[in-house]
Amino acid sequence: MHDVIIIGGGPAGLTAGIYAIRRTLKTLIISEEFGGVPANVPFIENYPGFKEIDGMDLMKKMEEQTKSFGVEIVYGESAREIIEEKGKFIIKTEENEYEAKAVILAFGRSPRHLNVPGEDKFENKGISYCVNCDGPLFKDEVVCTVGGGNAALDAALVMSKIGKKVYLIHRRDEFRGFEAFVNKVKNKDNVEFVLNSVVKEFKGDKMLKSVIVENVKTKETRELEVAGAFIEIGSVVESDFVKELVKVNESRLIVVNKNCQTFYPDSDKVRPGIFAAGDVTDNPFKQIVVATGQGSIAALETYNYVQGREGELYADWGHKKEK
Amino acid sequence: MMAEHKIIEYGTEMCPWCKRAKEFFEENKIKYKYIDVGKDREAAMKMIEKTGQRGVPVIEIDGEFIIGFNEKKIREKLGL
Repeated sequence: MHDVIIIGGGPAGLTAGIYAIRRTLKTLIISEEFGGVPANVPFIENYPGFKEIDGMDLMKKMEEQTKSFGVEIVYGESAREIIEEKGKFIIKTEENEYEAKAVILAFGRSPRHLNVPGEDKFENKGISYCVNCDGPLFKDEVVCTVGGGNAALDAALVMSKIGKKVYLIHRRDEFRGFEAFVNKVKNKDNVEFVLNSVVKEFKGDKMLKSVIVENVKTKETRELEVAGAFIEIGSVVESDFVKELVKVNESRLIVVNKNCQTFYPDSDKVRPGIFAAGDVTDNPFKQIVVATGQGSIAALETYNYVQGREGELYADWGHKKEK
Repeated sequence: MMAEHKIIEYGTEMCPWCKRAKEFFEENKIKYKYIDVGKDREAAMKMIEKTGQRGVPVIEIDGEFIIGFNEKKIREKLGL
């Protein structure tokens, strides 16, 4: 049995790992993917200590540091269920079961899906959530982008250079993205704005062939022939599997106090043994530095919990941890 | 000594997971061929046809395809 299992291997989870193991807690990280959200960011300029760094490189450094202290990391598995039983927690993934005295929830955000017919069927068969990865596979083809934020505008801009034509589908006629960005896209001859419109369905055979859109004002539908669809409608915290255990808010974010403790559902009573850190929490500022900060708080509070004592002051610097 | 495998990575320039896969092969001193399917249209169509997928990275090991960078599956296939 582990002292603590951390679910998620992004900045919050990896930092929690460092702090937990330096407090001599037997620590395991379970992470579906490597590195969390920053691993997909080409450059980061606001993480102190690094003037400019590729997100993937930053996460590799964090992983290396975490592993150097002896934290075990299991990739490719995602927690599906957590059961509390006789003072311990059982974490079930598709393949395995793990046991721990305490749990830190740090599984971050996932790309938001439209949840319309055909979306699952054509994922990676025309539908993509990563324009930088898959965009170049659609050279000289007709594609669409979905969304009205900066990420969607960027996708439209990238695809206007690679593809033959881009339909920019957005459910409103105003954009959340920066105005300068909007104008840049508007100046592209091969981008057609399909505004006040929502996606109803994706169609095709083996591969995506078309998208059905409905104008929310006129209720008219159109079928647009596209080979690719890039969906950029933000991200979501997939907290449903823990909502019976801990309090989540209306945006499905896990509610925490300043010590990264969670609460019982519909209650203001602290839930012992389950902590949360990073983008899964209701902290409004989604930043790497915030996630790492919360990761350290969650780990130190976990240490208190495992030791059966309450808040103390700590300094975890200026000394070398024996490995 | 690991048996020789025929490994091809299909990737694109800006894709972080393609970069991670490359680094994995290099760190483990595994010989592999890299094809930029963003530039090589013919190879891209071949990859799409063979895998039924339009996403990268794709890792081909001895004629079998692994979609995405799945370190666990790659290790299993290579007996690492």
